Amino acid sequence: MEGLDLLKKDWQKSTNSFTQIGENELSNMLKLRSSSIVKWIFIVSICELLLGIILGITLSLSKTHDESSELLQKWGIYEFYMACSIVFYLVVVWFIYRFYQNYRKISVVSSTKELITNIINTRRVVKRYIAFNLISFAVLFIVVCSFGFYHGYTTESVMHDGNGQMPLTVMITAIIILILITAVLTLIFWLIYKLIYGILLRRLNRSYEELKKMEL
Amino acid sequence: MEQSLEKDFVEKLKMNQNLIHKICRLYTQDEDQHKDLFQEITIQLWKAYPKFRGESKFSTWAYRVALNTAITLYRKDKRSIQTSDVETANLFIKEEQYNYEEEEQIKLMYRAVQQLNDIEKALVFMYLEDKDYHEIAETLGISEVNARVKMNRIKGKLKKILNP
Repeated sequence: MEGLDLLKKDWQKSTNSFTQIGENELSNMLKLRSSSIVKWIFIVSICELLLGIILGITLSLSKTHDESSELLQKWGIYEFYMACSIVFYLVVVWFIYRFYQNYRKISVVSSTKELITNIINTRRVVKRYIAFNLISFAVLFIVVCSFGFYHGYTTESVMHDGNGQMPLTVMITAIIILILITAVLTLIFWLIYKLIYGILLRRLNRSYEELKKMEL
Repeated sequence: MEQSLEKDFVEKLKMNQNLIHKICRLYTQDEDQHKDLFQEITIQLWKAYPKFRGESKFSTWAYRVALNTAITLYRKDKRSIQTSDVETANLFIKEEQYNYEEEEQIKLMYRAVQQLNDIEKALVFMYLEDKDYHEIAETLGISEVNARVKMNRIKGKLKKILNP
């Protein structure tokens, strides 16, 4: 194509046409901080990983935790809750390990496709971590609230008419309302999350799609 | 040790800075962005330099890092690309080189190239730099055949932009 070849001629001629930057200025540049997207992804990811852990630790150390343990024991789901907590932290440790492993693979000297893939994989680990957190909290919320509601209702019922039974319609309505509340809350979290990363990763995703398209 | 490494790096960088300028010219729309990207590329090069073994030429190594920084690491200004900005991209070139009869056509070509996406720009950059398809493919991480096919498509796309 003549157009591009014409440009090539001009391009090669223009090699020495840029304002040259001196050694001192270049040396000073080395001391500046990077504002690369990987750095931001790393900072945000670490914050997310820490947030999950800090929240968990704060909850388990707080005074309300003692009270809630008693309640959980009363409702008969304390063991279930503890087992869930242990599994939860094991999974969190695994996520952190995977994040670190992927992050180490990011190298600016690899090929463009490999670099983008590694950045996206690192992000994907944190994305799954957040999804895992949201799902765990949602499930736990539904289970604990269901038991709480059931226990409260039946206790009340015993006091009022001595029946102690929960009608099926009440149970179904309660479960539906609980699921709806959880779904809305999870959706709000998820949307905020998508918005933040949509902005941060838009360009990267576009390039990734472009490279993938080329290999088809 | 660190000081001699820095001195060595700065010297090499100074000699090869046009390469970075060229990438900045392709990937940015104004002088501020140009400076910003130049800085980011310099920082990334410096961070990666201790691992540079000298197996390849500094320039070959540097353009890969620079291109990767422009495509993946650099956080571009949020504003969208406006055609008027493209004019300012040419400010970095001294005027005399446009005193040819093809001046207008070259300007239009630059404008067309600015409309390509980041990956397409990378291919065009390496084509303009006279890199062979083997090197283009290796840098982007795609096959040589696909690099060729893509380059042909880009030529077609540029033609379409120029003659809508």
